[in-house]
Amino acid sequence: METNDNMLKDFFSENKKEIADFGFSQRVMRKLPEQRDRSWIIWLFAGIGIMLTLLLGLYTGLIQYLFLYLQIIPQIFILIGVLAFSLIGGIGVLLGQNKNYRAI
Amino acid sequence: MSNTDDIRWVTQVALLGDKSAFDKLTCKYQSSIRRFFLNLTMGDVPLSDDLAQETFIKAYLNISSFRGLSGFSTWLYRIAYNVYYDSVRAHKPYADIDEYQIDSQHQTQNEFSAEKMDIYKALKILRKEEQTAVLLFYMEDKTHKEIARIMNCPLGTAKTYILKGKERLSVYLTQAGYGNK
Repeated sequence: METNDNMLKDFFSENKKEIADFGFSQRVMRKLPEQRDRSWIIWLFAGIGIMLTLLLGLYTGLIQYLFLYLQIIPQIFILIGVLAFSLIGGIGVLLGQNKNYRAI
Repeated sequence: MSNTDDIRWVTQVALLGDKSAFDKLTCKYQSSIRRFFLNLTMGDVPLSDDLAQETFIKAYLNISSFRGLSGFSTWLYRIAYNVYYDSVRAHKPYADIDEYQIDSQHQTQNEFSAEKMDIYKALKILRKEEQTAVLLFYMEDKTHKEIARIMNCPLGTAKTYILKGKERLSVYLTQAGYGNK
């Protein structure tokens, strides 16, 4: 029974082939019906989030404290922090873009 | 190629109507879905591409009904299975005509035909349900549970389809001398 199973596995794996895209995905994309743009949802929730953060920050006094600390911290530390953040973020975006499924 | 990527792209399509996210899903799964149809249609490339296209369009239109209970791949195969059987049912009036004769007269010439003749001949000895189950199990590496979901049948039935298909194929391949190669 196991011999049969192995034989079938071999048979199907020999006949298994990846099919190149050759514009198939683009043809599918062209045929997709138009739908309403709902990207406004992102902006709506981003706006609500920022408003809530500002309101809570002002209410609890967190924002005032933040400005105070920013005046105390040496500017070079802030600059290094901003540069390191953008550098790490940039590397992350680059690595993410390397996943190219069209090449399958 | 993880399932997390699938969920992220499905969410982007369902919530924001983001077509580029759907393009990524199409690129990722086009090969397996087209291969599935190509084997079911015995190597008919234009038909299998039409069916695959219909599958992806239906997936796009119904993506909000994807609940994430199974993987996106399983859900997509479920649509593909329905698309294929709708197509088979639509051509039912011609079912009593000798299929083998038509196939040999109108065998689609394509890059796969010659080298895949053996697999198509082997698949032809199976019933449609057995063909589907065996292809999903051996070719597309789906589990019994996933196959039952795709074919919308009890787990035991899916296992029976695979077992019967396996038995028939084993006999056919042994007689054809495959095991001795």
